[in-house]
Amino acid sequence: MISTKSRLVIIDDEEVVLDSCKLILRNENYQITTAPNGEAGLRLIEKDKPDLVFVDLKMPGLSGFEVIKRINEIDPNIVTIVLTGFSTVSSAVEAMKKGAYDFLPKPFSPDEFRLIARRGLERRILVLETIKLKREKDMLREQFAAIVSHELKSPLGVVQQNLYTLEEDLSGCLNTEQILLLEKLKSKITDLMNLIHTWLRIISVDVSKLKDSFVNISIEDVVTKAVENHHLLAQKKGIEIELDSFHTFPAINGDEGTLVEAVGNLLGNAIKFSHQYGNIFVKGKIQDEELEISVIDNGIGISKEDIPYIFDDFYSYSRDENVNQSSGLGLAISKRIIEAHDGEISVVSELGQGSKFSIKLPIPSSAQ
Amino acid sequence: MSDQNKILIIDDDPDYIDGIRKILEKAEYLVSVAHNPKDGYQMLLSSQYDLVLLDIMMGRGAEGIALARKLRKDPILRIIPLLIITGIREQIAFLFPGQPVHPNFVEMDGLLEKPIEPKVLLKKVGDLIQISKEKLHE
Repeated sequence: MISTKSRLVIIDDEEVVLDSCKLILRNENYQITTAPNGEAGLRLIEKDKPDLVFVDLKMPGLSGFEVIKRINEIDPNIVTIVLTGFSTVSSAVEAMKKGAYDFLPKPFSPDEFRLIARRGLERRILVLETIKLKREKDMLREQFAAIVSHELKSPLGVVQQNLYTLEEDLSGCLNTEQILLLEKLKSKITDLMNLIHTWLRIISVDVSKLKDSFVNISIEDVVTKAVENHHLLAQKKGIEIELDSFHTFPAINGDEGTLVEAVGNLLGNAIKFSHQYGNIFVKGKIQDEELEISVIDNGIGISKEDIPYIFDDFYSYSRDENVNQSSGLGLAISKRIIEAHDGEISVVSELGQGSKFSIKLPIPSSAQ
Repeated sequence: MSDQNKILIIDDDPDYIDGIRKILEKAEYLVSVAHNPKDGYQMLLSSQYDLVLLDIMMGRGAEGIALARKLRKDPILRIIPLLIITGIREQIAFLFPGQPVHPNFVEMDGLLEKPIEPKVLLKKVGDLIQISKEKLHE
């Protein structure tokens, strides 16, 4: 890491300070430049992009505070340390609030100066390392999305399509058992494709960007669409979905598509964890500046130990053998979507009794 | 001259094309294949087709969309019915978060989502070719 010399800039209006600083550090492997005032110092910093800057707080012209502020604008990852007269410790603290990493009261001993320079550079290495790790993490995330997408999804798509073609080709030649087997294959592959899509979604979607596309939307539309999407699934289990009227609910600022998905995930879970011929209620409530959508089932419920984890990525509650395996991402995605809408998602549940999931969303003040 | 209808499939995955091609050939269509938008475009210029089946996710992104737009702007090629195949619903969802359905990203005559049911494919292809022929005779 230290194959190149660390670069230091020292800004102080007293020539004797600059000289003694250079003298103290002469045996260290640093490249040191100095400036007699803030303006010259900033020019040096722009040009050299140093690792560490020492700034005197009290200088004629540009003050040390101002220099720190400008350095932060040039590159917030440059470490700055304030040199200050003994009586002005409080202003040094002020400088640290503005972004300085540390301060050294004058007069200081050579050892103190060497030590703080070393500490400052260590800090710099940590900062750079953190940036690098963060970038690597982002890249991994993107790469993983790309790998999942291309290396898994495309070939699986081919298998899926050719299975359809094969089925068509063989239609008429297959006995009931074979037809059933083919149906099973198709359904398994569809499940796999859906799983991959869900992964891709959680990896790739930056829900915070959703906010850019917020418009006025009707909660009634959101709930109706979510229910429509799950109508068939409920019907298959003989489950009745009872829906409150959301007609009088005020419009909110949001993104319809993802909200439908969030409410839909709750409904999907409610159906999945309900017993056959169960009931699901979708209730609406307006309270203060919030509206609430609740999805209530009288299904298998969630145990107390599990509740804290259900909104985590890849958490799958499927101890009941009768319940289909799930990807464990639905609630995590829903939570992110609702939080992007400045809302909250919560659950109340009792094992064996059922669950109530609630989404609270703020009502814009203009609509109240 | 053969009275078989000619279809051009533009898709970068040969294995995927095989499946689609078999369905179409069984239904007596004459099928040609291009593995990238560039070849596809050249083939459209040099030979006549009754329908184009285009996969929009090709190469490093949605290269098919660029081709679709180019075809729609061409005074002669725009007459050929354009049927888009895509597994893009979820991809759209992260390219354009919050739009679970296909936004109107390109003008087209029809859209099929992967996996394509053979019957649905044949119906759609048949309908589109018929409509375009009727238009020509008007």
